[in-house]
Amino acid sequence: MKILVVDDFSTMRRIVRNLLVELGFSNGLIQEADDGENALTMLRNNAFDMVVTDWNMPNMTGIDLLRAIRAEPSLKGLPVLMVTAENNRDQIIAAAQAGVNGYIVKPFTAVTLQEKLSKIFERLAASGATA
Amino acid sequence: MDPTLDSELRNDFLVEAGELVQRLGDQLIGLEASPRDAELLNAVFRAFHTVKGGAGFLAIEPMVQLCHHAEDLLNVARNGQLLIDASRMDALLEALDLLNDMMAALASGSAMAMPPAGLLQRLTPGKGAAPAPAPKPVAAPVAPPPSDGTIDDSEFEALLDSLYGSSGAPGAPAAAVESGSISDDEFEALLDNLHGKGGQPGATSAPAASATSGTISDDEFESLLDNLHGKGGLPGASAPAPAPTPAPAAAPAKQAAPAPENTVRVDTARLDALVHRAGELVLVRNRLLSLAAKTGDESLELAATELDRVADALQNAVLGMRMQPVGRLFQRFPRIVRDLSRQLGKEVELIQEGEGTDLDRSLVEALADPMVHLIRNALDHGLEMPDERERAGKPRKGKVTLGASQRGERIVITVSDDGRGMNPEILRRKAVEKGLMDEAQASRLTENECYEIIFRPGFSTAATVSDISGRGVGMDVVKTRVVELGGTLSVRSQLGKGSTLELAVPLTLAIQRVLMVRVGARLLALPLSNVDEVFELAPGQQQLLDGRVVASHRGRALALADLGGWVGVEGLPGSHVVVLHIGHMRLGCLVHEVLGREDVMVKPLGPLFEGVPAVAGATVTGDGRLALVMDLAGLSDQDGQLLSTLRMSG
Repeated sequence: MKILVVDDFSTMRRIVRNLLVELGFSNGLIQEADDGENALTMLRNNAFDMVVTDWNMPNMTGIDLLRAIRAEPSLKGLPVLMVTAENNRDQIIAAAQAGVNGYIVKPFTAVTLQEKLSKIFERLAASGATA
Repeated sequence: MDPTLDSELRNDFLVEAGELVQRLGDQLIGLEASPRDAELLNAVFRAFHTVKGGAGFLAIEPMVQLCHHAEDLLNVARNGQLLIDASRMDALLEALDLLNDMMAALASGSAMAMPPAGLLQRLTPGKGAAPAPAPKPVAAPVAPPPSDGTIDDSEFEALLDSLYGSSGAPGAPAAAVESGSISDDEFEALLDNLHGKGGQPGATSAPAASATSGTISDDEFESLLDNLHGKGGLPGASAPAPAPTPAPAAAPAKQAAPAPENTVRVDTARLDALVHRAGELVLVRNRLLSLAAKTGDESLELAATELDRVADALQNAVLGMRMQPVGRLFQRFPRIVRDLSRQLGKEVELIQEGEGTDLDRSLVEALADPMVHLIRNALDHGLEMPDERERAGKPRKGKVTLGASQRGERIVITVSDDGRGMNPEILRRKAVEKGLMDEAQASRLTENECYEIIFRPGFSTAATVSDISGRGVGMDVVKTRVVELGGTLSVRSQLGKGSTLELAVPLTLAIQRVLMVRVGARLLALPLSNVDEVFELAPGQQQLLDGRVVASHRGRALALADLGGWVGVEGLPGSHVVVLHIGHMRLGCLVHEVLGREDVMVKPLGPLFEGVPAVAGATVTGDGRLALVMDLAGLSDQDGQLLSTLRMSG
C-alpha cells in the first residue's frame, strides 16, 4: 500500500511514518511531502493508495489539499486521513463535508492509528460491496 | 516506540523545533512593533502549534502545556479578537524563554518542570475574548450539537454515515435527527443514491452541504441527486442547491512560503574538515610554487600557476561556505534591546543596517557576547532618559543603530547611539581619580585618546554601578576579546550627539596574519594583531627588577620572556625582542630570528593536543616546514600571570 504522509514538520512526518511501519506498512512505499502543493504534485505523478495529511500547513493547508483531491477526477476516490492538533468539532465537520475519510488527533499511538485506518477501510469495503 | 527511534526522533525534534524557536524571538519582537501583521501572527501561532504537536508525540507534557497556552492566546489574536499589548508580549516572551530552557533541558536530558501557573494564567486570553475562533455559524450541524466543541469517534462515524450512508449500519440516521432538517424519507433516498454510486467520499462526497442551509427542498434535493448521478463532480462546486460551504473555523490564512528546500544541512564539523583540506591544498601549492621557481622549468611553472589560481578559487569558495550573514548575530538583539529599554525606562528604536554582510561562522558566535555588551552600554550609558532628551530638544525615543559592512579583508560592525555623547573633560578627571594616570598625562591626551580611556580596565563612568552594564566586566574585557579575535575596537563621540563604537574583525578566523619567528630550530607564528614592534636587544639593556628580567625600552621597563624555554629549546635565548601585548600586559619575547609576516592557514592539532595552553594550531610554511601558531592569550593564566616556563631568572 502506497501512502503519502503530508506535514510541514519533518519530525512529525517521521513519527507518522514510524507508526505506519509499526503497523506493518512497508517503509519503502511511504513517501513524504512538506505541504499541500507538493503533495498534490506527487499525487498527480504517482499512484498512491492513501494520504495522511496534517491540517495546519503553510502554502496549502490539509483541508485545501483534501478539497483539491476531491475536485480532481483522477484523485477523488483517494482515502484521506486528516491529522489535527485539536479535537475541534467545527473543523472536523468541515473536513467531513469536504470529503475526509477519517481524522486523528495528535498525539496518537499506533493503536489509535490502526483503529482509524480500520474504520476507513471498513467503510471503503462496505461501499465497494454495496456498489 | 523503540527507544533508539525515540532518541532519534528527539534529536530531529531538537533541531527542527529548535529552528522554529530560534526564529520565534525575532518574530515576537516584530509582532510587538506591528501587532496586526496577520502573516506574522500566523507564523508565530504556527510555530507554537508545531512545537506542541511534536512535543505531544514525545510526551513532553510541560512543553505541550506551555505551547498550548501560547497558541491559544495567539489564535485569539489572529482572529482579531485581541491585540497583543506589551503585557501580553511580556508573557509570550517569557513563555519563549521557558521554551528555550525546556529545549535545553530536553537536549541535556534533565528534568523539566511544568510551566508556572502564573505564566499560563497570563497567557490565557481575557474573559472578554472568546477563547476559540469564532466559526462562521454552521447553521445546523449534521451531527448532534456540540457539547464542548469536540467530537468523538462515534459522532464522527455518525457524521460520515449521514454524509455517505452507513453501508447498512443501523442507527446512522440518528445523527440527522437533531437538526430535523432532512426527513427520513429524504435521507433514505439520499442514501440510496449514494450507495448506488459507491458510497465513499470522493466518488460522491458532498451532500452534507444540505445541512448548512438547515432545510432542503425537493427541488434542491433533486438537483443534488442529478449532480451525484452525473460526472460525480463536487456538488459544492456545481450544484445550485447547497448553501455556501461553511468556512473551516481555524483554516489558517495562506502564509509566506518557506524557502524551497534547495539547501542541504551540513554538519559544521564536516565543513571545517573541508576547510582544512582546502588549506592543505594551498600549502602544497605554496611548496610547488617555490619548487617551480627553483627549477626554472617553464611548463612546470605554468602548471603551478594554474594550480595557484584554482587553489585560490577553491579556498575562497570553501571559506565562503563558512560565512553567515551578520543578521544571524543581530537577530538576538531586538529582544535584548526591548527588555533592557523597559527595564531602564527608556524609549529606544533599534535600527539594523547591512545584516546581509557575510561573516565567518565562528566569528558570529565569538562576537555575540562583546556585541551584547556594547549594546547594553549604548542603552545604559549612551542614551538619556526620555525627559532629558526632550529637554535637550531631541525626540523622546533614542536611536541605537547596528551597522555592518565589509572593508577590504575586514568586517566592520558599528554600534551607534544618538545619546549624550562623552565629555573628554570628565573622562580626564575620572582617569586621574581612578589613578590611571596623573594630571599632566591626562591633560596631554587628545580628545580621541580620552574616549579610549573607557577601554582601560576598571574604568566605568557610571556614578553608581548599575545592574545593566556596570557589572565589573567593562569595556576593557570587550576590547580584549575583540583583540583576541584579531580585531580592533575604537570609539568616536560627540558631546550631546552620541557615540559610535566600531569593531573591526578579519573576514575569517581560518587565515591568520602572523609574524613568523625562529626560536632555536623551531618556527613560531605570532598573531600579528598582538605584535607591537620588534627590536634587537643591545648589550647591557637587560636588567633585573624585582627578581624579573626586564629590558629598558622607550623609557619603560619591559618584562622579558624566553620563548626558547617555553618551546623547550636549549641554549642561550635569542637577542631579538618581539614586543607583544596580551590584554593589557606588555611582554618582550626573546627569539633568535624574525622571519617576517605571513598569512597562514591555521590547522588544529587534533584532539590529542587540544587544550595545550598558548597553542592555537599549526601551519606549514611555503618551504614545507612546520610552524606552531600561538594563541598568545594562553601565555598567561587566569590572573594574568605569565606561565612559569616563560620566566627568566637573572
